[in-house]
Amino acid sequence: MTIERDALGFDAPAPLGHPGRAGLPTGAPTGPEVGSVVPDFELPDAFGRAVHFEQHRAGAKAVVLFFRSVVW
Amino acid sequence: MLSDVDSQVIEAYGILNTSISKDDAMLWGIPYPGSFVVDEAGIVVAKFFHDTYKKRDSPEILIGAALGEILISDDAPSVAGGDDEVRITASVQGGKGTIRQGIYRHLVVHFELGDGLHIYGEPVPEGMIPTTITVNGPPGFITEDPILPPTSPLRLEGLDVELPVWSGSVDMVIPFYASGELASEVRPLDMASARIEIDVRYQACDDSACLLPKTEKLALDLALDVVDTPALSMHKGHGQREGNYSGTPHLLRLFARKARKHPLGLPRFILKTLRLEREAKKRARESASR
Repeated sequence: MTIERDALGFDAPAPLGHPGRAGLPTGAPTGPEVGSVVPDFELPDAFGRAVHFEQHRAGAKAVVLFFRSVVW
Repeated sequence: MLSDVDSQVIEAYGILNTSISKDDAMLWGIPYPGSFVVDEAGIVVAKFFHDTYKKRDSPEILIGAALGEILISDDAPSVAGGDDEVRITASVQGGKGTIRQGIYRHLVVHFELGDGLHIYGEPVPEGMIPTTITVNGPPGFITEDPILPPTSPLRLEGLDVELPVWSGSVDMVIPFYASGELASEVRPLDMASARIEIDVRYQACDDSACLLPKTEKLALDLALDVVDTPALSMHKGHGQREGNYSGTPHLLRLFARKARKHPLGLPRFILKTLRLEREAKKRARESASR
């Protein structure tokens, strides 16, 4: 399988046209708008322990960062 | 770091990537990636989404958005210029000011204006000098539109115009990132740093008179972060090469889970990948023969 490099300098063993390598389509949804409240949630961490967002941050400011892969 | 195994939270936030086919057992369920900065009450105060998942913001930028201030570490590259009336400092926010593949940094141009002085935003009538910042770097150095603080209106007596001005301390932010060979993932970089030239054009005035228009030329040398990838014919991906970590068991569990949920997904994915690769090769052949 050949490695193709994209405009940002990333190499991957998938063709450049592969949907997994595509960027966000224009008008893609970006979730809650500035000024609205983010949904609460509970998810497992790397050790399988449940983390409850609102309980965990306990009234502190927070950054909720979604990424699609730990690797590129 | 949390794992949204069934994409429930991704769906609750409304950012499920629907451009991926449901048949694609490997990729279905991923989000349109981005980040939300929330205050104490859980209200979004800022959010960051980019046109590709390969661009991410420096942690300092996210923390700065949460705190509502621009954080620049002491060891970040910085250059000072200007004169006694207008002091100008250019520095880089994020990651000690290095250039790193796929990561946004912020060039921060800070003005410290003397008492009573102001500089102009846009638009201004012809003949006046609005403040402009031009940034040039090596090929692959890409800047985005500046993020400017709000101006205040200045009414000129006698003339029927209102001018947008800044006074006091002003921070102008220019987001930038590197592309192509400047940020290559695998290829060894033949330069250790990149020189960024910053031209700041402005004219400072007080209520009665103006100083001469000036162009302040500043330059910063930004170190290039080398993404440490071993010389493998096909690299193993970031974050998986430190120590003895092996991602294989996790990957196998993921495959097993996906295969149970979508039995036809993997064969379809393989066929689709083969087809896409075939088409890409065909396109490459066609463009080579042209």
